[in-house]
Amino acid sequence: MSVTVRIIDGALGDPAPALPPAAQFGAAMMFDGVVRSDEGGRTIRALNYEVYEPMASNMLTELGREILAKHGLVTIMVEHSRGEVPVGQRSFRLTVHALHRAEALAAVGEFIDRMKRDVPMWKTALDANPPGSS
Amino acid sequence: MVFRVLIFGSLARELSCASIAVDVPDNASVRDVNEALAACHPHKATFFRGARLAVNHSFRSADAPLRAGDEIALIELVGGG
Repeated sequence: MSVTVRIIDGALGDPAPALPPAAQFGAAMMFDGVVRSDEGGRTIRALNYEVYEPMASNMLTELGREILAKHGLVTIMVEHSRGEVPVGQRSFRLTVHALHRAEALAAVGEFIDRMKRDVPMWKTALDANPPGSS
Repeated sequence: MVFRVLIFGSLARELSCASIAVDVPDNASVRDVNEALAACHPHKATFFRGARLAVNHSFRSADAPLRAGDEIALIELVGGG
């Protein structure tokens, strides 16, 4: 059982192919958060993420351990962007491996809800057409 | 003791700064910093009185004592993902 947390400058790249031995899990689930072009009715070009370190990484690790134990996961990997992420790019990825589908689905939902509520990260929308740009 | 309380996100943009300086007694607790923040910004006093403060990167109770040099950050209105 393992928890991995990575804070990455800019957009996330392709997912890492790291998998636990196949016999250890029956469900593999990956959630990608993608920057939308619409933020509260505004057209944006990017989101800028502030991450208060090392508190954010510490809290993500602790949250991962708690979720892993509660849902009996095999692994949990968290990747989150810091800085500017353009529209259409990935800013957050949660990958879990569990014995069964139900645990994986529940774990992903609970992790994201609690991350958004507690972990010291903030996002700012960057307008596609800021005032005075035309 | 004077602390510069770090602020982030929409609050930092609203106040046009990255930190708020507060002056509290030498035996101050976390609660005293909340009160000092509320006094600095009375139009947001309710928010600052209830705001979660991290000291040296961990949440602390309102009664936790502070020491000179502690790093204090206001952790509210978060929204990763």
